[in-house]
Amino acid sequence: MPDPGTGEPLLRTAHQLIVENDDIASTLELPRLASRVDVIREICRHLAPYQAGERPIVGATVIAKDLTIDSLAIMDMVMELEDSFDVSIPMNVVAEIHTVDQLADTILDLRSKR
Amino acid sequence: MDPLPSRNTRLAQRRAGFASASEMLDYAAQGQTGISFYNAKGELLTALAWREVRERAHVTARKLIGAGFAVGERLLITADTWPGFFDSFFGAQYAGLIPVPVSIPVGIGGKDAYLDQLRRQLAASGAVAAVGIDDLAGFLAAAAGEYPAVRLHGGKGILDALPEKAVDLRPLGPGDLCYIQFSSGSTRHPHGVQITQRALMANLAGMTGPAGLDVIPGDRAVSWLPLYHDMGLIGFLMAPLSCQLSIDYLTPRDFARRPMQWLNVISRNRGTISYSPSFGYDLSTRRGVTQVPAGLDLSCWRRAGIGGDMIRPEVLNRFADAFEPSGFDRKAFIPSYGMAEVCLAITFSPKGVGVRTDVVDRVALGKDQAAIPAANPQDAQRARSFVLCGRVLPGHLLEVRGPDGKLLADRGVGRIFIKGPSVMPGYFGEPEASREVLSDDGWLDTGDLGYWLAGEIVVTGRAKDLIIINGRNVWPQDIEWAIEARGVVKSGDAAAFSIDTGAGERVVVAVLARVSGKEERLALARDVAGAVREAIAVDCDVALVPPTSGLPMTTSGKLSRTRTKANYLAGLYAAPASPPKPVAA
Repeated sequence: MPDPGTGEPLLRTAHQLIVENDDIASTLELPRLASRVDVIREICRHLAPYQAGERPIVGATVIAKDLTIDSLAIMDMVMELEDSFDVSIPMNVVAEIHTVDQLADTILDLRSKR
Repeated sequence: MDPLPSRNTRLAQRRAGFASASEMLDYAAQGQTGISFYNAKGELLTALAWREVRERAHVTARKLIGAGFAVGERLLITADTWPGFFDSFFGAQYAGLIPVPVSIPVGIGGKDAYLDQLRRQLAASGAVAAVGIDDLAGFLAAAAGEYPAVRLHGGKGILDALPEKAVDLRPLGPGDLCYIQFSSGSTRHPHGVQITQRALMANLAGMTGPAGLDVIPGDRAVSWLPLYHDMGLIGFLMAPLSCQLSIDYLTPRDFARRPMQWLNVISRNRGTISYSPSFGYDLSTRRGVTQVPAGLDLSCWRRAGIGGDMIRPEVLNRFADAFEPSGFDRKAFIPSYGMAEVCLAITFSPKGVGVRTDVVDRVALGKDQAAIPAANPQDAQRARSFVLCGRVLPGHLLEVRGPDGKLLADRGVGRIFIKGPSVMPGYFGEPEASREVLSDDGWLDTGDLGYWLAGEIVVTGRAKDLIIINGRNVWPQDIEWAIEARGVVKSGDAAAFSIDTGAGERVVVAVLARVSGKEERLALARDVAGAVREAIAVDCDVALVPPTSGLPMTTSGKLSRTRTKANYLAGLYAAPASPPKPVAA
């Protein structure tokens, strides 16, 4: 499924991968498919429309503060990230996330625990 | 797992008229109906017949009593929508403890603000125990740390781990409180409304009776409303329970993610009663309309209530237009008006007629506090639509009073007062705050503005500063304090208020701009908006006020949000991107 914005292919989720590869899926290493770089890139793709001025979006960017994103869009983003990386972020953990780095690490951490 | 039935085959329906919450559950437990929990995919997770809810509550009650908690002590519960809430809430009812349901954290980065709120709620309620879902155990521990009175805190496991002792139950009776409802007052100074068993029973009788929803056997309630809100807890737990209905629950979070599941569950389970603030209908229309599942059939939905925020007729029209092809009947809409200080409900608009509006002249409304019919209802500049909210529930009195306290006749806009058996005795442990809204002869100042129209009340706005965003009460003090606490501006340099955009309320924060350059002004606005989003999880517009003019004050030297708003609407304050306006000498 291409990204409607850029036309680039979206990150495939583990779920899609299993469907496509059927029984060989178990031999593929999922962590490799969602490296930290992948996760950050996906987060930045969601956040790009909300960049404030010339300030680039980096790992230390505070999502709710440094960008022009509104709270509903933040919720949408978290929901879509949860879907595409097939994780569920508990509400207490969400409440402690401020930066792009923290969000990425949370997703990676939850994936590694599966 | 099958959904629970909508009808009891052997138990006659009793429509309210009980003496207490536990008596309602005792009666409903004799039937087959109960509560079901659905996930974001619309899958049934758990179903508990009322009989099981009661049995589980009895176990919890014996554990609480066995642990030495005394009658009347308060149990704080983080009110997520899950079976454990029902265990602890009804467990407290049977143990003689007073439950204090509180909200769960919202949004990212909200930890500190949430902990702060928990601490204030623990202090205001004097709670001796605090429980919630396991995920929140750490937050409860952190908040309870400063309160030695809290003898037990943690996830649901902390209650389960208590030994069940062979003790007699000691259910809260008709003369007792039922629970404490936090929804009033700012988070800095929270006021807990005392919901008494007696007032609740009176309100439930009105709500479910002929002047209210007129519940009948076979009705089925569907709800995504938060259980820490009066409309969720009383409207969609107590009211259906008082009539032995089955209830299907979605969590508020899952509703926000997948609003279509709300309508799906109604359609699949043949739900007949469901409520939402206007924004929920809006969300469903905007996000749902592109993904209407085949076979969606909303023809069963006979009571589509609206309450909890200003009712938006255009939003409801869009919803009806979008879902009429799926069987939705726009005549099922029931605009309603109420507040936690009267348990929940004050008025219901008549059934079977849908949303009725009165179109008045904006100028006369603002200038003369008079609701004069608009000369040209199509003129959006001059005309403003308000929704008729119906007659007051039987046994209650409603008055609209002018600034001098005199009763107003039809179309005179004034403050709404109510008196009757549903009115609270006061805020918990807050005699002074209670006296501010309750007179000696039992009249409650609702803080809302409205006018009479042939025996029906029309609510036009609020006299108090309260902001309501998406059904959530937000006090401007909390917004201002969040900005000041983060050091974005100095204390007293911010004023928050809301404006009516026609499509909903929008928060505006006016701050003194003690910086000049364009970049600095933009950065200030961004920091203000960011602080508000992080602490309160609402979005706002920022207006910059020249420091030389300052923020308007009342004669007693307090910040005047009303005048700040008037100045803003008059265009006196600059948007962050524009250069500072020259200051008049």
